[in-house]
Amino acid sequence: MNSTTMNSTLDKLRAILRRDLLTAIRHRSGFVVTLVGVFTELAAFYFLSRAIGPGFRPNGVEYFPFLLVGTGVYTFFVMSAQAFLSAVQEAQQTGTLEVLMTTSTAPAELVILSSISAFAGNLVNLLVYLFAGVAVFRAAIHANFFSCVAVLILSLAIALALGIAAATLQVAFQKGSALLWLLGSGLWFLSGTMFPIQSLPRPLELLARVVPLTYAIDGMRGALLEGQSMTAMAPTLAVLAGFGVVLLPLALAGLSLSLRRARQDGTLSFY
Amino acid sequence: MDRVVFESVRKIFRHRPALFNWLGRERGGETIALKDVSFSAGRAEVLALLGPNGSGKTTALKLISTMLLPDAGSVLVGGFDARRNAGEVRRQVGIAVATERSFFPRLSARENLEFFAALDEVSRSERARRIKEVLRDTGLEEQADTLVMKFSSGMYQRLGIARALVKRPSVLLLDEPTRSLDAATTAHFWSTIRALARQQTTVLLATHNFAEAAAIADRLLLLHRGELLADRAMGDGESADALRAFYFRMTGEIDEAMGAIHRAGSAP
Repeated sequence: MNSTTMNSTLDKLRAILRRDLLTAIRHRSGFVVTLVGVFTELAAFYFLSRAIGPGFRPNGVEYFPFLLVGTGVYTFFVMSAQAFLSAVQEAQQTGTLEVLMTTSTAPAELVILSSISAFAGNLVNLLVYLFAGVAVFRAAIHANFFSCVAVLILSLAIALALGIAAATLQVAFQKGSALLWLLGSGLWFLSGTMFPIQSLPRPLELLARVVPLTYAIDGMRGALLEGQSMTAMAPTLAVLAGFGVVLLPLALAGLSLSLRRARQDGTLSFY
Repeated sequence: MDRVVFESVRKIFRHRPALFNWLGRERGGETIALKDVSFSAGRAEVLALLGPNGSGKTTALKLISTMLLPDAGSVLVGGFDARRNAGEVRRQVGIAVATERSFFPRLSARENLEFFAALDEVSRSERARRIKEVLRDTGLEEQADTLVMKFSSGMYQRLGIARALVKRPSVLLLDEPTRSLDAATTAHFWSTIRALARQQTTVLLATHNFAEAAAIADRLLLLHRGELLADRAMGDGESADALRAFYFRMTGEIDEAMGAIHRAGSAP
């Protein structure tokens, strides 16, 4: 990529981030509702862990920090994909999707830049969630910064693939929400969000081990709660990288095909 | 060299019933939107695609803009094929679609234009000046910083035209551009379009308004049920009245002006 192309791409990213930031700021009530939601959810988990008692220590850590990281990473995944899907649905409903597809920006570039914006917002939410858990509800953490960043970056690629897959189904069959609902409830159950996957019956535990989110949550718990080094986490990081390398190109190819088919059938703005 | 070329273009919309349609009455089928249509448009030419609803005008514009892909034939813009070189085509084409509200409602008119200008790769140094120009040309200077969620349909229409103009397209596609505009804005808009044509921009205008097409265009393409019935240059020796009679005869539409004269003449 030469410097002119790089500058042009950064300029487009800036425009997309600015659009989403201005829209979010002008939706003031949405921001307040999100903040109230964060504190209510954390309070519920805090009192749940107190009710269960200090004797329950999944993977050797206290239950509240275990829940904090599990639900935080799960919410980040699903809400990022949801935000991305909502952007596509809204663009279909308002008619902007067709117009966006006639700009000088290639559809794949547009999708990736838009997703960065969707993820940036949810990354802020995740950080607020974790910070509130630690600062207000006194969750005990022992973080390794570099391991946290490595897990986050690799998890992002997988979350991006999930979001693009939902957008693909939305463009192709107008059914992106159904996929997200299915994945959301399935992932919540199978990824060890609220309890260790070892508690599941053996067949379900094996199924949980092929779910990428399981490794993202497990990795973040290791990095944030146990301070594991990148060397110690190498197997988990390798699995996350493998999922990203396979899923992301597949999702992009699927989206490219669905956009082409929609342009052929004239269904780009159907919803 | 012609800037826009349609070669035997066919476009069919296939209707696929919903996946779970056991109780519904939805059936599959197809609509032929364009039947082997061929035409071309040169630099500085204003071409009107004229026809009643469902004649294929908007489909033709969408094919040029790459929003749609043809089922057969080819669409070339500046020598680039809209199917194989969609990116190059999109760089040259600006489209003002009939769909109003295709904007981000919580952004102002200026912020919307800034966003689309960035995606259309208008340079940052030129962007502010260019946006100011198109806002002035479309009469939206005073509403530049108003959130577009507060716009009327006429203002949306003008903003759509501003968006199409902001990247200085060499091919400008306009779909019923004056549908919601008042008379003064319409007059100003057409003078802007003629000025653009003088600067070598190719303009394709889809309309069902014969008088408007005849007044502004260099050539009229008459479309009816997906077929190109006529391709006439204005001022080609054929009087406007003869063209008008031809249009209404071919499409079977009622000439409102002639109908009014007839009704007035037969009134007691």
